[in-house]
This record gives sequence, C-alpha cells and structure tokens, in this order.
Amino acid sequence: MSRNVVVTGIGVVNAAVVGASPALGAWLARPSAVPPTGARPAVRLPERTLAGLVDPAEARRLSRVCQLTIAAARLAVAESGLDPARGLGLVVGSALGDFTSTIAFADGFLTRGPGGLSALLFPNTVMNTMAATTAIAVASRELALTINVPTVAGELAVARGAAAVASGRTDAVLAGGVDELDPLVAEMLDALGDDGLRGEGATFLVLEAEAAARARGAPSLGRIAGVAWRAIPAGPWGVGRRTTSRAIGDAVTRAGGAAPQWLYVSASGDARRDAWEARVLAAALGAPRPPAVSLAALVGHHAGLGALHVAAAAWTSRSGVLPAPDGGAGVAVTGDGLVHGLARGGGHVALVVGSGDTAWMPAAGHEGPPMELPTS
Amino acid sequence: MRRVVVTGLGAVSPFGAGVKAYWAGLAAGACAIRPLTLIDAGAFRCRIAAEVPDLRDGSSRRSRADRLALAAATEALDDAGLGRRECAEAALIVGAVGGGMLEAEEWYWARARGERPSGWAPALRAILPGAHAEMLGHRLGLGGPRHTVVTACSSGAVALAEAAELIADGVADVAVAGGVDAMTRLCFMGFNALKLLDPEPCRPFDRDRRGMSIGEGAAFVVLEAAERARARGARPYVELAGHGMTTDAYHVTAPEPEGDGMVRAMRAALAAGGVEPAAIGYANAHGTATPQNDRIEARAIARVFGDGRLLVSATKSMIGHTMAAAGSLEAVATILALVYETIPPTANLAIPDPEVGFDCVPRVAREAEVEHAISNSFGFGGQNVTLLFRRV
Amino acid sequence: MQPKEVFDELKTILVARLKFDPRRAAEVTEATPLPKGAEGSIGLDSLDFIELSIAIEERFGVVMDESEDLSAHFASFDTLSRFVAGRLGGA
Repeated sequence: MSRNVVVTGIGVVNAAVVGASPALGAWLARPSAVPPTGARPAVRLPERTLAGLVDPAEARRLSRVCQLTIAAARLAVAESGLDPARGLGLVVGSALGDFTSTIAFADGFLTRGPGGLSALLFPNTVMNTMAATTAIAVASRELALTINVPTVAGELAVARGAAAVASGRTDAVLAGGVDELDPLVAEMLDALGDDGLRGEGATFLVLEAEAAARARGAPSLGRIAGVAWRAIPAGPWGVGRRTTSRAIGDAVTRAGGAAPQWLYVSASGDARRDAWEARVLAAALGAPRPPAVSLAALVGHHAGLGALHVAAAAWTSRSGVLPAPDGGAGVAVTGDGLVHGLARGGGHVALVVGSGDTAWMPAAGHEGPPMELPTS
Repeated sequence: MRRVVVTGLGAVSPFGAGVKAYWAGLAAGACAIRPLTLIDAGAFRCRIAAEVPDLRDGSSRRSRADRLALAAATEALDDAGLGRRECAEAALIVGAVGGGMLEAEEWYWARARGERPSGWAPALRAILPGAHAEMLGHRLGLGGPRHTVVTACSSGAVALAEAAELIADGVADVAVAGGVDAMTRLCFMGFNALKLLDPEPCRPFDRDRRGMSIGEGAAFVVLEAAERARARGARPYVELAGHGMTTDAYHVTAPEPEGDGMVRAMRAALAAGGVEPAAIGYANAHGTATPQNDRIEARAIARVFGDGRLLVSATKSMIGHTMAAAGSLEAVATILALVYETIPPTANLAIPDPEVGFDCVPRVAREAEVEHAISNSFGFGGQNVTLLFRRV
Repeated sequence: MQPKEVFDELKTILVARLKFDPRRAAEVTEATPLPKGAEGSIGLDSLDFIELSIAIEERFGVVMDESEDLSAHFASFDTLSRFVAGRLGGA
C-alpha cells in the first residue's frame, strides 16, 4: 500500500530563522546568511534563542540539544493542529547526538571520581535522548526512532517518517533532524577531514496521510511524493569513488516518474564530498543538471538542514522560486523537485517533493498568517 | 505485504564466538557474568559483567564493537549462503548505542592524565553508533537501504523490525539486521550511579532480585522475502511474523508503572502476525532483573496473555544486559528455542517472585514444542519493541 | 554539623547538581517540600532524587541504603537536613 504523504506542520530553530512555515517562507523569500563566528568558523545559535522557546522549569532537566529538538517539534505540531492522542510517531535524525552531555558526564568522573557522576546527565549519553524527551513533550506514543548517520541524518529521518505514513503503519509522524555545535566534536571532524561550514539547530515536519489531513481540515504545506535511501560504497567517514546508486531513480519512480525540475543538495563546502555529490547527481540526472541550491552556506551544516531542505522544497513547489543563497532574486522553477543528500560513509537519500493536489490555504481555525510569497 | 523469513544467524556472545557457542551456553543455563577485565571497576560497588571472552577477530585498528559486529554479520551471511554478488542490493540495519566509545574513552582518559595520545583519528572515526553500518556496508559490499537506529536497550530488536518492514514493503529482498555493543566505562559507570546494578549476577524474576548485570556482544540475522528464499533453495529458520513498536512518553529512565506501552507493543506484534495470545507458547522477556522492570513487565504480560500457560524466561540472567545487542541476541535465542524445541532457562532464579504469575523456566532448559514465540525489548526512555516469530 | 548548615549545603547542591536557577534555589525554605506534586514543592522526580543521593554521599559521606524506605526523610528540606545531620552525629 502506498498512501499520499503531506506536510501539515513545520518547525525551525536555527541561527537564521525560528518559527513555523510563515517565518520560514519569509526567510526563503529573502534569504540572509548568518555570519560564522569563532576561531574555527561555525554558525552558532544566539544564546537567548532557547530561553524564549523552552520554559525554565522544563529546561532544567533538558540538555541543550534536547531543548532544540523540543522547540522545533512543538512549533511543527502546533502549526499542524494535530492531536497527538490520535497517534503520532517520531523520527529524529542526528549526526552527533548529545556529545556535550557525554563529555560532561565523563569529566564529572575524571575530576571527582564516582561521586562526580551525574544521574541527570547519564540518559543523555545515549543518542535516543532527544527522541525520548521529545516524545514526552509532545505526547508521541507510536514508534520513536533515532537515526544516526553523517551528513544526511535530517533527510533520512524525513524519508523514514514518510515511509511510515505511506506504508499505512502510522497515520502521522513528526520527523526531522537536530545537531548542536561542540568544540571537541569540531576538533574531531577536522581530524577526519570533514571541513564544510558547520552550524546547529533543529527542523521538524509533521507528515500525515493526505486523506486524514484533508478530513480534519489540516493545512497542506506540500507533498512528499516519493522517497528512497541506499548506500554507495565508501569507507567510514570517507568519500567514495562510485557514482551509481538506485536512490534517486527509486524515489522518482515512486513519485510517478517525472524528472525533478530543481534540487536541494547537501553541499556544505566539504570540497571532496561536494564533488562526489555533483558526480552522483550528474550520473543520475544527466546534463544539464537542474538548478540546485544548498542552504548550508546560510545556516551551516547540521542534521536539521536536511529537514530544512524538505521544508524549503515544499515552499519552492508552491512559490515557484528556488532561493538564491547569495541574496539574489532566486530562480523561477516549476514542477516537482528533489531533496538530495549524500553522506561521507556513503549514505544516500532522495526525496521527491511537490505541491500536491490541495491548494495552499489555511484551514478554518488554523492559527497563523499564510506564508509570504516573494514579491518580484 | 510480503512474508519475511530468517535464513541466517550470527552471534558473538559472552559465551564466545559463534551461534553454536551461544546456544550451548543458553541450553546449559550457564551464567557468563564474571569479574570485569576490560575496564577498571575498582571504584564501584558492582564489579562484574558478561564480557565476550578471547576476542581475537580483526586488527587493533578496529574498535572492539566493530570487531564484534563484523564477526556476527559475517557468520550470518555465511550461514545464509549469500555471497558478495547476492548481497550487493541487500539492506543493512544496525542497532547501536555505544559505538566505538571504549576506544574513545581510552583516548580521552589518557588526555585527562596529561598524556598526548596518538592514533586518535581511527578511534574517533569509529566512535558514533552509525560507524558500524558504514564499516559493515563497506566490508561486506552491502549497497541497499542502510541506516542505524539508536533506541537504547531495544536497538537490536528495532533493527530487525526495520529490516522486516523494508522486505514486507518490497523495498528490499534481503536484509542484514542486528545490534552490537561493547563494554564501555560510560555505560558501566552510569548504571552504577543510578544504582541499577546488582553486585552479584542478576536474578530476573527472583523475589530477591536487586538489579541488572551489564554484558556485551553482537548478533545479526539475515532476513529475506519468503518466496525469494524458497526460490533459491534456502532453508528458513523461522518466520518473522510481526512486530510492534511503541513509546511510553512517560519518563526518561523510569518505565511507565502500568506497562501500557509494553502491552500495546505486544498486542501490536500479535495483531500484525494475525495470532491470538493463546497461540503464543514462549515469551523471551526483557527481564533486566531491576525490581521495577520485571514487576511491570510481568504485569503487562499477564494483561496480554492471562496467567498460566505461557513460558517466560530472561536471557539476561545468562549474558547480562548487552545493551544495543540485547534485542538481537535475544531474538536469536528465541529463534533457536523454536527450532530446537528447547526453552532456554532463567538462570540464578532461586525463589520466583510471587507477583509473577507464570512459569519462568528456572535454571534448567525445558523441552517444549512451541508454534509462536515473542521477544520483548523495553528500552530506557520507554522505547518498547516486541518481535513475533513463527515456526515454518 | 547542624541541620541549618546542612540546609545551606543542600541549596548549593540544588544549583550545582540539580541545575536549579540560583534565584530559585535561594527562595527555598526549610519548609519547602521536595517531591513533585506536593503543594509549593521544588518539584523533584525519581531521577532528581538519585542525583541528590549521589550529591549527598559525595558532599557529606552519608550513604543511602536503597533497600530502606527513605521517602519520609526526603519530604522536605527540613526532614532531609535533620536526617543528614543525624547521620553525621549532629544535634
């Protein structure tokens, strides 16, 4: 069975944009980059961002990466108007998890012995902590998966969530990605030769079966028409040489077969990996390659970026504009697009995103202004 | 949706390398929980665990967890009779938690002592849970759908459920799925700090149980679409007939007291397989031997199956809690119980808890012909999975 | 050590180990209940209590035996301070 999957809610928390689909649309219409900071440049979330998004009593027991996840998740669920009691699954993608807590936990022991071990920190040393805490925060009681892979965790989480809805096993899934910056991790990634621009943040989407979403009058923000994920041979954290993979073809076939007209890609300034991605796309889509953009230059690469690309693709399919990260006018496009991710280590994800059948309009009683469309 | 069968098994357990050694230990009701050697546990009240003995496979440049995973996955593929060509499109789903943390800890501990440890890039490359899948995919030539799931103590079982869905939905014809975890200081210290460890070998379902024992290991299975397996003449072990995955959404460490999430997971697995509770002859429990888990799980099992006929045993009594490997090692135990018509016992069980209404197969394995069996894995953070297996 | 001194140390533990905001920690009195659900309580749950036990063991050397039911001692700052002081041989 394969049901249509629509996006009914979006939540974004990163250094450039915080909010649901209206805020995202306003930013995409006039995208602004956030200047990287630090000796090893990265795009950091301003300190005060989370203070405004998470209640202090709740925040006491939540690590920063969990707060990021919950903040974005709640924005998405609120926009969708979904009642989680009707059944909600959760898929969280992350490249790095809660390293900050893991290091703090180890340091507690190294500096003070067994008495320095923190029971509060310990659950955060397992990467499912974002999913576990978010499931509690949004009352998600169906599956709650955490997926770990370099580079494409956000794309993969959304693809996995869409598959859960399309297969009929779950009626609604909250899916997305989250990562935070940590100095030791930056050191580690540098040592592994991964030198793209890094960032932090979370992006989550509510994915629902189209019929159910329409029946309850939910906003339809876009359609995930086909997804696929596979692997291309490459050593751990490595860049491969081969360029053939079935992921793009399978996603396109599942979406009905029409070639994608535009692309969001996972390029981040990691030159060797970016070049490999370009070759893989060329092998699958031929020349000339459709217009492509990556938002990594604006907010830095993190697992939330892959999900952000899916959300942005939904906007592009409605607005007919592929944003220009250099601040220019953007490219006019039509038809469906492809969100593409290729990971160091070989993880390969493709999602076909389109506008779907439902015209863009808020349902009666749905909060929030409509998404701004670009003025030319 | 297509039917899914198990055609290959691989395991490295605290009983040693290979499925044969694993089953020999299980059938004998042996306990592999012994004084720790891999890490220094002198500062803690609990100093025992179930380590994999004499681990020799692989090179010193590969993390312990990677070596466990590679040995188990290779055995499973060989057992299934699948060569590199047949595996080119195979899916790979790995359940992991600690990754290469043991080696990363060694590096970090050395740094804390003021040393300047070398060789840290290989350790760091292997540190994340997702690293096993990259290594296995690369070494074994697996190019199909690939992902790593981290769902705490249920990761190994979730991996099997994920793989089964891919095959049932026609996304893949063959999948390699399983879980792995090696001993780590973080895990051992953390459970000590939470006072969840028994200083003696754990005693699931015992009236006087006092907590868990930690273990390590890896188990992988080969899953195939039933018709494809038949077409190539493979002999399936069992059918993976259904699964249920739910979340408590209650608390980050404590299980929800009524066991609702556990009940829903078990019922969902049965419904997916189209079987009534009375058709289940054996349940391999999560059975960690914490006072809380066993009490809540026992009640949940009673709610689904009623009192009486169901045989229940806890493999963690013999191999400890192997973390991300638990769901897959215990799935293998459940599969072999069906195949060999022998229920592995609950070791160390002296006085069954009177609140537990069923036969926990104390200390001695029980011959029993069982048509259907389930394996429960209920992870930290309320991540519940039940797998349903059926004889073929 | 007197209960009052123990109480002052517990307030430090609230900030250092239980991650309370310093202003919130300064507001608690001996009468403030500890467990979640009690009126006016500081709102600790089971995991907080484990952290608190570890911190008390580290700071005061008082070991909690988890086979004992200690919930009465953890009812408020007053009961906890007296319990710890009593274990230390204070008045």
